[in-house]
Amino acid sequence: MSDEYENKKGYQAQSSESISSGGGGSGTVSDADYVRPAEIPEQDLYHGHSFITKWVFCQDAKVIGVQYFLLATFTGIIGLILSWLMRLQLGFPEAAGFMTAEHYYQFVTMHGMIMVVYFLTALFLGGFGNYLIPLMVGARDMVFPYLNMVSFWMFFIAVVVLLASFFVPGGPTGAGWTLYPPQTILEGTPGSGMGILLMCISLILFVAGFTMGGLNYLITVLQARTRGMTLMRMPLTVWGIFTATVLAMLAFPALLVGALMMTLDKVLGTSFFMPTILQAGEVLEYGGGSPILFQHLFWFFGHPEVYIVALPAFGIISDLISVHSRKNIFGYRMMVWAIVGIGALSFFVWAHHMYVSGMNPWFGFFFATTTLIIAIPTAMKVYNWVLTLWRGNIRLNVVMLWCLGFIITFVNGGITGIFLGNVSVDVPLSDTYFVIAHFHMVMGIAPLMVIMGAVYHWFPLVAGRFLDETLGKWHFWLTFLGAYSIYFPMHYLGFIGVPRRYFEMYDSPYVTSAVGMNEFISMAAFIVGAAQFILIFNIIKTLKIGKPAGHNPWQANSLEWLTPTVPPEHGNWGEKLPVVHRWPYDFSVPGAKEDFITQTTPPSEVAETEVEKT
Amino acid sequence: MSNLLKKLFGTLLQKPWETERAAIDNAHEGKTFDISVQKSAVIIIFGIATVLFSLIFTSYLYTLPPGQDTQYLLRPNLLWINTLTLFFVTYFFNKVTNDLKKKDTLKVKRNLLIIGGLTYLFLFGQIIFWFQLLKSGNYVSTNSYFANFYVFTALHGLHLLGGLFFWGKVSSRVLKLEQNKILEEEKNISALSLYWTYLLIVWLMFFLMIYIFNDAFVAWCKSLIS
Repeated sequence: MSDEYENKKGYQAQSSESISSGGGGSGTVSDADYVRPAEIPEQDLYHGHSFITKWVFCQDAKVIGVQYFLLATFTGIIGLILSWLMRLQLGFPEAAGFMTAEHYYQFVTMHGMIMVVYFLTALFLGGFGNYLIPLMVGARDMVFPYLNMVSFWMFFIAVVVLLASFFVPGGPTGAGWTLYPPQTILEGTPGSGMGILLMCISLILFVAGFTMGGLNYLITVLQARTRGMTLMRMPLTVWGIFTATVLAMLAFPALLVGALMMTLDKVLGTSFFMPTILQAGEVLEYGGGSPILFQHLFWFFGHPEVYIVALPAFGIISDLISVHSRKNIFGYRMMVWAIVGIGALSFFVWAHHMYVSGMNPWFGFFFATTTLIIAIPTAMKVYNWVLTLWRGNIRLNVVMLWCLGFIITFVNGGITGIFLGNVSVDVPLSDTYFVIAHFHMVMGIAPLMVIMGAVYHWFPLVAGRFLDETLGKWHFWLTFLGAYSIYFPMHYLGFIGVPRRYFEMYDSPYVTSAVGMNEFISMAAFIVGAAQFILIFNIIKTLKIGKPAGHNPWQANSLEWLTPTVPPEHGNWGEKLPVVHRWPYDFSVPGAKEDFITQTTPPSEVAETEVEKT
Repeated sequence: MSNLLKKLFGTLLQKPWETERAAIDNAHEGKTFDISVQKSAVIIIFGIATVLFSLIFTSYLYTLPPGQDTQYLLRPNLLWINTLTLFFVTYFFNKVTNDLKKKDTLKVKRNLLIIGGLTYLFLFGQIIFWFQLLKSGNYVSTNSYFANFYVFTALHGLHLLGGLFFWGKVSSRVLKLEQNKILEEEKNISALSLYWTYLLIVWLMFFLMIYIFNDAFVAWCKSLIS
């Protein structure tokens, strides 16, 4: 291993504290600026020389982050196209004559799984995690770069296997993204042959690959930070990604066990999830298993999964709001506690997805209570974002627009979550479009807005150029207004009882009011989907003729903006590792020359300021 | 554990923006725990593997209906010998740790090879036991008792194979190194030792469970009471 740790006392690593302090200027370090000598030796990195080792099988976390980002976006676009097809059927069935009910179920299933696991999870943890963690904690790379590279390629194979299911006999599974047995593997369900098998294999590969990446994220955050970077000096982005990774490491084994056992039920005829079944008058060979066991396993993964997506989004949005409103984040400690608290609580709420599956009423009471308790730390975060904005020097740029869009959308989705967390309200709304509207608002659109804000914010670091603001505003407003045009009416559809996962609305009493609304929603969905291509155009345009951003274009404080080169090169920090002297939220400090003090600024340089009054 | 909790809550209570706190934080060396990255990795893998095996245990307890034929596993069999083999592996890891302390590198090399050999023997023993099960007509699809047994032993074996991969890397390096350099491998060896001890504990838990939580045992207990 090239990254072995040795605790050699007295080892003098190259670091900025060995240079003269800014304030002193005499070649000696003032007392206030003193930092201990480095005790962790330099990381021995593998630098690729050919195109293949530099850009394909690369061990640089930043390149791996971009690879994750691109592949996740590619799968996300497939998910988007599937949603267009679904909306075409629901809004304009006469124009979707090519689509059978089986196709529709398959599209619903693949859309759900792709968006939740292969797009959002991979993008937040694999994409942002890889790119930002080493930079933000002041490391040269992840602690196990080779393992990190393998992690991406496992993800790549998982995606290939998943997409291969479109081309096998019977097509992909159409059992719904929750893959509930027994119908998932029984004849009559679309894709019950190779489709479900490939889905399970793909999920197993994804979990195995993610475990390798997650191991890297956790150890890099815990053990490879630069000097002066305490846990409570880390940006909230890192806290969010770190806690989400802990959640993923504890929740994904449930998905792995579920997928593995379902594979065995399908291939070897075991009965983990299969009760005694009578099919067409014939008793099948299964027996003794429990379909409810799968539901427990799935949701033990599935609910923390919501926070695996949400926590990085919470962290990122906190940093974006702070930087673009030129204010320190309100209640930093509370924000960290809320992230950790939400993470812990997320393991005690899973059965609120199973109120209609049949459970002891006391369990329903327990899970409703824990679900509602989780609203407390979540609300704390919302208040703190708003209070950060309060009387801030807000820059109403595209990044800020996405931030504001996120807060509103998240509150909307969160409130409907409180409806559904209550058993008595959930039961009549279960499996209706109200549920679809709720989770798309809270874990579809809201995190997507964070992704977009983050792309506009960090693109100047990745590519060295600003994305076009005008195109960005078009992108934002079309997405924001369009998304509300899609999901607000869906709440109403849910209230009037329109069920989810139905291929067509049939001749039912609510059909008259639902038809027009479905057409409207579909039109909005086409427009919102198409609006996302504005970003792709913007990126291509910017890479060619974009305005150069230079160093630290947003006047941020965190370390990722303080690399010697933009974009940062492999190893991030040139010859000397940075040394951290403060937290990343010293904005608009009274007495300071500028409205930001970077994390590496020694105390002697800002001796006249009143940091604690920010 | 109490130290860990104290550290965790102590950390969460810090106020990084205060001048007094900044003076303390500036002296922070950067890492949270005074352990190697290898050991950190092993500890995190413990966490993941514990969830994985706990879920299989839960699934076993959840799906074990009464009246399943569990007799075959409960008779004296090869599993006892395999368990003993795994005990020996841990014993030899303990010896290696002591040898490292005594700087007896020759014994380190020898005992590392014994560890690898015994682990392969354990895996071989498990496969033989699978064949015995199959021969007796107890397949993976026979009932949920055996299905869980096969799944657990397969996953446990896979974890050991993963450990053997790293054992191979460390051992091949140790065998080639000179005496004074071998001691530098201590962190890798102690991480491996920790990993094997963990897998022994997991195995013992499962071993205990298949003997205790089964229909025959419950019936036997009832017979004692009645």
